[in-house]
Amino acid sequence: MRHGRWALLVAVILLCGVAAFWLYQRGPALDGMTAGCVFQKTTGLHCPGCGMTRATYALMHGDVGAAFRFNPVGLVLFPVALALTGLEAVAWARRKPWPVRLVPGPRIAWALVFLVVGFWILRNLPWWPFTLLAPP
Amino acid sequence: MNWFYAKNGSQQGPLSTDEIKNRIAMGEIGPSDLAWREGMSDWMPVGQISELKAAPAASASPEATPSFPTASSAASPYQAPSAAPSPVQMAPGQVIPSYLWQSIVVTLFCCLPAGIASIVYAAKVEGLKASGNFAAAKEASDNAKKWAIISLVLGLVINLIVFAVSFTGALQGVQPQ
Repeated sequence: MRHGRWALLVAVILLCGVAAFWLYQRGPALDGMTAGCVFQKTTGLHCPGCGMTRATYALMHGDVGAAFRFNPVGLVLFPVALALTGLEAVAWARRKPWPVRLVPGPRIAWALVFLVVGFWILRNLPWWPFTLLAPP
Repeated sequence: MNWFYAKNGSQQGPLSTDEIKNRIAMGEIGPSDLAWREGMSDWMPVGQISELKAAPAASASPEATPSFPTASSAASPYQAPSAAPSPVQMAPGQVIPSYLWQSIVVTLFCCLPAGIASIVYAAKVEGLKASGNFAAAKEASDNAKKWAIISLVLGLVINLIVFAVSFTGALQGVQPQ
């Protein structure tokens, strides 16, 4: 099973590629083929990830402004977290960690917790300017 | 044994154990330079890797040091001071992953409160590691991993169910026409 981890990683990347192409072509939830946000549907509240699919779709079609409007925090945080997760996934697949790595440390880690949880709370408040944080 | 080391930002290797010991002996690799071999889960400063600590005399005649632990601790004054016994003995090169980035990805991807639990545990790992409480850090790390997996699996399962339901619904909707 020398190449088992590489095979799994490539399979996941291919699957994400297919999903991304599907999204690029069809647009988000136009035909009810995705769940949307189940948390939003059951509670009526927005979660920290709400609007990410639409933001990604807008970004794919070059509309950065609209993407930012759908999920301002996710638009910044998601690419960073995804890139660093990808780096760790490659290190995992080749069974050899990187000599230099971004270790966040407790302060940044807790700041991210407060950012995500705070964003979650604020975007559900019904008053301007917090309504700007909710996806339109 | 294939050793790698990092010096001034560039990675060198592979080297055999004897080769890397020679370079350490010659001063080409300092005790604070990072080294790694297959089987270690992370890079470590050369000065903290016990396998690379043998004195130059020992590498010339390995059979001359039969009682390794006591002989080396007595013979090498530059050995790292052995700390007070910590609750968890760390294996060489062992790191405690915090899963912080993974938990942020699943939270933004799956929209589940389980993702938030994972991020909180990930932040706790960083704090506990910084304060040296490795047993609690390991526990928080395991919890962060557990909740990230729960969030990912739940998100995928829910989406697959909705996809299947809407797909069969679409088929049934088409058939009567």
